[in-house]
Amino acid sequence: MHEWALADAVVEAAKAALGDRDPACLRGVTVLIGELQAIDREIFSFALETILSGKPFPASIFHLETEKASFRCEACGTEWDLEESRTITEEQREAIHFLPESARAFIRCPACGSPDFRLQKGRGVSIRSLEVDAREGCV
Amino acid sequence: MSDPRIAVVEKRLSGVRRILAFSSAKGGVGKTMCTVSSALALALGGRNVGILDLDMQGASAHLFLGVKPRLPEEKQGILPLPVTERVTLMSVAAFTGERGLPLRGSEISDAILELLAVTIWGPAELLLIDMPPGMGEETLDLSRLVPRLESLVVSTPSAVSVTVVERLLSLLKELRVPVAAVIANMVQEDSSPVRELARRAGVVRVVEVPQDPSVEAAIGSPDALSATMAGRSLARAMLELGYLGSEKPDRIR
Repeated sequence: MHEWALADAVVEAAKAALGDRDPACLRGVTVLIGELQAIDREIFSFALETILSGKPFPASIFHLETEKASFRCEACGTEWDLEESRTITEEQREAIHFLPESARAFIRCPACGSPDFRLQKGRGVSIRSLEVDAREGCV
Repeated sequence: MSDPRIAVVEKRLSGVRRILAFSSAKGGVGKTMCTVSSALALALGGRNVGILDLDMQGASAHLFLGVKPRLPEEKQGILPLPVTERVTLMSVAAFTGERGLPLRGSEISDAILELLAVTIWGPAELLLIDMPPGMGEETLDLSRLVPRLESLVVSTPSAVSVTVVERLLSLLKELRVPVAAVIANMVQEDSSPVRELARRAGVVRVVEVPQDPSVEAAIGSPDALSATMAGRSLARAMLELGYLGSEKPDRIR
């Protein structure tokens, strides 16, 4: 389950952002899960709990938010979402799960069929924000 | 907020002793052949080797190695495709097969970072990276994300290749990416234009690989590739450059 590698990245990034401050300073981490990558939230949360095992901060401070994917065709300007990309197969979905950029090989504009489109949002895993305690020694 | 994937790149590569990018600003000079033949030679010498094909829009290492694209296995990350007992391969072809993958610059950067963050290289001691032609995202991103990157720069003796590759050598110097050697590939008679190029760039080591018509017929077979004149030349080079010899890396400039 490659969700583990991404959960590990989020944990390491939170540790790096915290630096040498008291781990208790970190009150919350909002993780954005892009719809396109179709991360299994249950596995991702379990991976966070297992990787951390409560140290240096509890997994409960991580809050997962899903971001809808949206595309825009460069040729005709049509905007669409993932539900409208019905032509992709299960295997192609899995490829996109591993590497979201694979979508460029499989998805086409539903209006004009162009392969020239942009993913506007909802790609993969990112950290939206970190909440740090305002007390002395934390900020 | 910075991208969380950056935080794990070095961790994913922590088991890899040396990371070599086979680069050239010019297309068609034989980067992929040099990458895969070097990997096969290192494996024959007892090393475990990973190959990362970063040519997103022209992935072809799998074709040289006779690897049929298929989705990788997952194990707390994704596992590169097995090639031989000691060689593995990660390539966008594992995800998109032989379909075209039209990517813009930022998408290439995202794909590079994703592969570096989630690929589990396992026992690989050396990672050989097959770079696309040019000096875009792959060169810039890799030099930033993988500070211990070394480069092997490939050029043919053609004046066009030498001129274009000289631009890359200048850039690598500015990026502080050490160049372990310049590979003079497809040499028919005279490798002096490439030797001169290396001298101007201050690169001491030059590897000479002859023009070898038997390579085309060997494509798709690791054994046949290793047996070509070009394959044997690269095997000698891997030994001479110290990638097969000592456990401790040779220092390069």
